[in-house]
Amino acid sequence: MGKAEFLEVLRRKLTGLPQAEIEERLAFYNEMIDDRIEDGLTEAEAVAEVGPVEDVVNQIMAEIPLTALVRERVRPKRSLRVWEIVLLVLGSPIWLSLLIAAFAVGLSLYIVLWSVVVSLWAVAVSLAAGVFACLFEVFVYQKAGNLGGAVFAGGAALACAGLAILMFFVCLAATKGVARLTKKMILGIKSWFVGKEAA
Amino acid sequence: MDVQLKRGLLDVCVLAAIKNEDSYGYRIIKDMKPYLEMSESTLYTILKRLELAGMLTVRTAEHGGRLRKYYHITPLGLARIEEFREEWKQIESIFRFITRED
Repeated sequence: MGKAEFLEVLRRKLTGLPQAEIEERLAFYNEMIDDRIEDGLTEAEAVAEVGPVEDVVNQIMAEIPLTALVRERVRPKRSLRVWEIVLLVLGSPIWLSLLIAAFAVGLSLYIVLWSVVVSLWAVAVSLAAGVFACLFEVFVYQKAGNLGGAVFAGGAALACAGLAILMFFVCLAATKGVARLTKKMILGIKSWFVGKEAA
Repeated sequence: MDVQLKRGLLDVCVLAAIKNEDSYGYRIIKDMKPYLEMSESTLYTILKRLELAGMLTVRTAEHGGRLRKYYHITPLGLARIEEFREEWKQIESIFRFITRED
């Protein structure tokens, strides 16, 4: 791939970012490629060393904050005409409430996801507490001379302990899973803003 | 190398690359290559972060008919390198603790 082509593809895939940022990054990569060519590489080799465009775009997307993308999307690209402003203001009860509602629904779904994780942890903690409760029962039964009861309670304590340990690993996996899902969701939302031409 | 460990080292490494004389993007990557692999995007982010923190300054100069950005370390940047040197002594003692044979 030639340098011009690489930069063109990169520019296209970065639409949605603030213009100044795009220019700065393109200038940076342009310089890096030129430096490699000066060092003796061919244009194709230089571009190849800098990396596949997809990787570059993904790295940039991962680090640019979502708020910057939203701000850029919302920023008026040209001055609004009077009737557009009037329409925006008059219609705000509708579009603003819809926007807030959509955001609220999204947020509540996300919170529900985490509450499932929290409930799992609650189960793990209760099982752990159960171990102590059963051990206490062993003590009580033993004191009352009820050996059978003591053995039963001891077995229950062991069962609780085993289940608690199992639950612990389940909870860890669930927590990590939701954390990873969150990352993916944010990346997905970001890519919705980026790379759209003539948006 | 472990990602977390690497992340902490990259910033200081870039500062070290421009410590004795101003340098430019590709040369910084080349200078660091025997020690750490760094991609363009990573370097871009680090340079931006260091500039924002006041640890380096940027100037554009003409070179071979095109423009090139040169990075210059500031006293703040030099202080960071010194800080790293101190931190390293602590890391060394932790290393000795981790790898002790007993």
